[in-house]
Amino acid sequence: MAPGPDPNSVGDGAKRDEATTKVPSKDPKKKDDKKEEDLSEEDLQLKQNLELYVERVQDPNPELQKAALESMRQEIRASTSSMTSVPKPLKFLRPHYGTLKEFHKNMAESDLKKLLADILSVLALTMSAEGERESLGYRLTGSEGDIGSWGHEYVRNLAGEIAEEYTVRQGEESSIEDLMDLVQQIVAFHMKHNAETEAVDLLMDVEDLDLLLEHVDRTNFRRTCNYLTSAAKYLPGPDDMLVLDIAYMIYIKFEEYPNALQIALFLDNMQYVKQVFTSCTDLLRKKQFCYMISRHGITFELDPEMVENDVDREMLQDIVNNTKLSEGYLTLARDIEVMEAKTPEDIYKAHLLDGRASSGPSADSARQNLAATFVNAFVNAGFGQDKLMTVPSDSTSGSAGNWLFKNKEHGKTSAAASLGMILLWDVDAGLTHLDKYFHTNDNPIIAGALLGVGIVNCGIKNDCDPALALLGEYIDKEDSSVRIGAIMGLGIAYAGSQNDQIKSSLSPILNDAKAPLDVIAFAALSLGMIYVGSCNEEVAQSIIFALMDRSEAELGEALTRFLPLGLGLLYLGKQESVEATAEVSKTFNEKIRKYCDMTLLSCAYAGTGNVLKVQDLLAQCGEHLEKGDNHQGPAVLGLAMVAMSEELGLDMAIRSLERVLQYGEQNVRRAVPLALGLLCISNPKVTVMDTLSRLSHDTDSEVAMSAIISLGLIGAGTNNARIAGMLRNLSSYYYKDASLLFCVRIAQGLVHMGKGLLTLSPFHSERLLLSPTALAGIVTLLHACLDMKSIILGKYHFVLYFLVLAMQPRMMLTVDENLKPISVPVRVGQAVDVVGQAGRPKTITGFQTHSTPVLLAAGERAELATDKYIPLSPILEGFIILKENPDYREE
Amino acid sequence: MLTVSVKWQKKVFEGIEIDPTLPPYVFKAQLYDLTGVPPERQKIMVKGGLLKDDADWSAIGVKDGQKLMMMGTADEIVKAPEKAIVFAEDLPEEEQATHLGYSAGLVNLGNTCYMNSTVQCLKSVPELKSALSNYALTGRSNDVDQTSHMLTVATRELFGDLDRSVNAVSPTQFWMTLRKKFPQFSQLQNGMHMQQDAEECWTQLLYTLSQSLKAPASSEDSDAVKALFGVNLRSRVHCQESGEESSETESVYSLKCHISHEVNHLHEGLKHGLKGELEKTSPALGRTALYLKESLIDSLPSYLTVQFVRFFWKRETNQKAKILRKVDYPLELDIFDLCSEDLRKKLEAPRQKLRDEEGKKLGLQPKSSSKDSDVKMTDAEASSNESGESSTVTQQEGASSEKGTLHMTGIYDLVSVLTHKGRSADSGHYVAWVKQESGKWIQYDDSHPSLQREEDITKLSGGGDWHMAYIIMYKARLVSM
Repeated sequence: MAPGPDPNSVGDGAKRDEATTKVPSKDPKKKDDKKEEDLSEEDLQLKQNLELYVERVQDPNPELQKAALESMRQEIRASTSSMTSVPKPLKFLRPHYGTLKEFHKNMAESDLKKLLADILSVLALTMSAEGERESLGYRLTGSEGDIGSWGHEYVRNLAGEIAEEYTVRQGEESSIEDLMDLVQQIVAFHMKHNAETEAVDLLMDVEDLDLLLEHVDRTNFRRTCNYLTSAAKYLPGPDDMLVLDIAYMIYIKFEEYPNALQIALFLDNMQYVKQVFTSCTDLLRKKQFCYMISRHGITFELDPEMVENDVDREMLQDIVNNTKLSEGYLTLARDIEVMEAKTPEDIYKAHLLDGRASSGPSADSARQNLAATFVNAFVNAGFGQDKLMTVPSDSTSGSAGNWLFKNKEHGKTSAAASLGMILLWDVDAGLTHLDKYFHTNDNPIIAGALLGVGIVNCGIKNDCDPALALLGEYIDKEDSSVRIGAIMGLGIAYAGSQNDQIKSSLSPILNDAKAPLDVIAFAALSLGMIYVGSCNEEVAQSIIFALMDRSEAELGEALTRFLPLGLGLLYLGKQESVEATAEVSKTFNEKIRKYCDMTLLSCAYAGTGNVLKVQDLLAQCGEHLEKGDNHQGPAVLGLAMVAMSEELGLDMAIRSLERVLQYGEQNVRRAVPLALGLLCISNPKVTVMDTLSRLSHDTDSEVAMSAIISLGLIGAGTNNARIAGMLRNLSSYYYKDASLLFCVRIAQGLVHMGKGLLTLSPFHSERLLLSPTALAGIVTLLHACLDMKSIILGKYHFVLYFLVLAMQPRMMLTVDENLKPISVPVRVGQAVDVVGQAGRPKTITGFQTHSTPVLLAAGERAELATDKYIPLSPILEGFIILKENPDYREE
Repeated sequence: MLTVSVKWQKKVFEGIEIDPTLPPYVFKAQLYDLTGVPPERQKIMVKGGLLKDDADWSAIGVKDGQKLMMMGTADEIVKAPEKAIVFAEDLPEEEQATHLGYSAGLVNLGNTCYMNSTVQCLKSVPELKSALSNYALTGRSNDVDQTSHMLTVATRELFGDLDRSVNAVSPTQFWMTLRKKFPQFSQLQNGMHMQQDAEECWTQLLYTLSQSLKAPASSEDSDAVKALFGVNLRSRVHCQESGEESSETESVYSLKCHISHEVNHLHEGLKHGLKGELEKTSPALGRTALYLKESLIDSLPSYLTVQFVRFFWKRETNQKAKILRKVDYPLELDIFDLCSEDLRKKLEAPRQKLRDEEGKKLGLQPKSSSKDSDVKMTDAEASSNESGESSTVTQQEGASSEKGTLHMTGIYDLVSVLTHKGRSADSGHYVAWVKQESGKWIQYDDSHPSLQREEDITKLSGGGDWHMAYIIMYKARLVSM
């Protein structure tokens, strides 16, 4: 309408119209000196009126006073609706604020005084000096009328003053009752007016979130909970738990069980999980809950209270036990048409390198074959078929055995175990394939078969406990490689299960004086995995004793690092619970003390985003130490572990690591690529990719090696063409260096993991939940990578299989009410953060429409593109049960 | 009597009866009938582990209707292959070298890159290697002086070391004998040995070898080096003033590529290099007169060496200055038009044959009746195979094979390039680029061999500050008739 903005023409509509006519004639130069005189007629009128009211208010006649106050209130209320600038009446009343204040002070107690207090409270909005909280003060002495009638801005200002007043009063320990009344009003007002975030903020300030429960309703509880859950990430403990508690209760109140379950899982509160099951009566929805629990990777037993019917319970337990995972994954693979097995050569794509690839050597290189074994295992993971290990044996050469024997000594362990990876999650077929290897007399092969059994059972629970039955016998065998195979297999198969039987068989090994160090190290690690995040005292004691019993020389060994790590895993994400153990660790031999300290700290605060801990760890990284100290590696990894949970902290951590890289000592620099790998696992951010690419050519070969492995980690399961290209070039750059080439091959295998259908990210459910077992698996590998030469390039390369704990299909598979896959159109796009946004904002952007099953990349979100079905979970990841929409009508 | 179901692989066997009074072995025998898995290979998971053959059913606590899981296959047990697999890592160092597909580099002993690159280029001639290995047998003849003998032996040893080693070889012995034989290479500057001209080193070394490798008994291939590298030139010397004309022949080890303003390509440079003016006393005029000398190639070597005359003595700066002009050279060089009439006649038939073969490779039919084309095809294929092989086998011109004799075609393939980087011959850096038998190009930068792409090799033609070709060597393409 108006050709240009006029500085004076804000306010009501009538004024604007008038201004429009004036604009052309106005000279910009004149603007300054017309502030006073240039008031429009209307404004002048208003000003005169207000001045009159002010005078009248001071009139001794209460009638007149009242009329004046009423009129004044009318004027103010009429104008406060728009808040683009100071409203006219307030502006004109400014000069009289002092007078009115003075008059109010001397007024006798009466309704009129309250009325005036109300008006003063509003005037204080613009007049009150910082920190005086006059607005609040007058409000409290005022008439307690409808708070919203004075407009949003007034309420917001009041809320701010309440928060300040609250802290002051807390300090003085004086009563806050009057404040709370006001809070009640304000919260009710905010909740009604789409300002849930402000209501939550105020309640957090006055530490009374319970009030929220009264005020949420169907229309606003989603936005409220959304805000609560994302705010929890930035709150210090134990406030965050409190906030989530409220969110949980709200979700339960509105029967939004999937979300409630999510929060229950986040809180790791099994009582809440149970409550979700008991509150919900719909069997189909319970099935969906089971899928969610199975994705989280925890062990959960359903009891008759949760599901009454035995048959139903068994079926639900099957879902929790992940027995259908393999089936679903293969459905996805068939739909995407990637069932065809791939060979390592298909991954290396040596033909794309011009002339650089060395001519095929006539003799087999044991190291290259080992690399091929791993690549084959990772790429064909879970598909049940490959071209090296599962090919049917020829009558003449017996080619099934052939590839196995193309690996040398301990390499055969990894080769046999790779069968477990190829048949991942398919316990029946996996055990069938592995069976024949149990009957050889070649110890490394038996060890591999044992490990393979563990891998096949990873994340799958079975009533018959085949892994325990098979592996249990081998724990105390003579040969230490066989023992390690069995122990590690158990650790992988029963991660997070807190299985007592295994504890009682593994604990004695820790304190067995005759057991070799490597067996002890793996036993500690497996116990850590099985009791991950449990804070189990007994296990902690055993590991602590084992650490104390180690001789000086043994403490210097590379594998010793698994002892503190095993201990740390017990406290994964459990924050303060670690303190007692951390105290004990201070008494350890100084060679391991700091290492242990850092590991415990980083594990305990993993995924919390605790800024103070990040600073502690950063300080450790900044120190320049004498030679021989090795605790900075875990400190750098810890930095990533703590910061990885939430986007903002993650970006900050990446930037800090950049600094650490520039100023840190060599042993710090070696860990930095690994930390970057953890931060962006299966999430190839271009900036991180570039940093790692630069580091992969570092003069220090260990920095280069960790950078290469990390390139694999950030691209894990993405088939990212850019990383694949980088690695291909690296393979020709390092074609002469067997160790680096090995790393390049492993990274290539990781990038094409599961032919691009898998992810290693421990986060799921829109990055809210962190699967503890998945994180444990990744962290273990990273700790092993801190001393690449003696562990992964040595004879313990099979620690690479710990990654299986984190491997999950990055899919969304829709199933119907009978759990049969159905195909529906979905939109997949980049997720948009909608926290705190009003209305019903779009949750994805730049979407494409596919039909399920679909793959979801990092940061992507799906939504159904049809109204025909209703998903039983709002978080469209993994298995989603669809229910037919009864209101749907064909168009 | 208990009834259980047993899950085996993907199958479930329902309603199997267990008699708790009998040992589990009986139960396993039952399962053997169903699955074909022998009892000793059956693994049945029960609570607390595997079911033992002699266990007590009551202690295991199997309930009626329980689902048991059995693992086990009747598959053949894997056996290690009878012949153990040999891994590259286990091989001795020498054998590992062959797997790389190229030999080791040479350590720079202080400005010895000129020598290293020369050695690497010459080493790529297998015939020279075999001639050297025969040298031990023939031994030192009387007409070879002591230092030449020592240098020849040192060369042989060095070539041997290079073939055996994986890591860079230090050519100390060779260097010492080289300096003994040619004291000019011992020049010092600021206490360091000076950079030298690789061409000088090349020429001197080849000359020495040719002297010492001359067989004592005068047989046809008496001079092995000359047979490999020697080019016979027939020159027509013509005086324009007097009209006198004479002809002379000479033998050189390399052709020169003169670089002037008109020269953009190797071929032009070679032509330029074969023409010259000289002043000499004319018997007819009785005074010195200007003669024109035009040379043509009379016989072709197995290995044609071309030197780019990039350096000239610049009086102002008192050093060998470098011409940076870009002179292209091809991967395949045809010098037919530089040959003498006689030689051209000799070359025609083999060239025709070569053309036919190449045409056939490209799928063109030779002009002949359809009947005998089949025969010809097989013939030609056989011969092309032959010539393919012959390029890798030690063969000399005129050497006979079972199928026929090999003939020169006048066509040459590039096999090695010695490049120089820098502004004068006595400074800068020399590097050798050598084509391997596998067809791959390796850059030998002292102790660092690295793979190169073929298209990058022709980019060493100069025109900037990048490495530029100084001496290049072509290998003759032979055809059997």
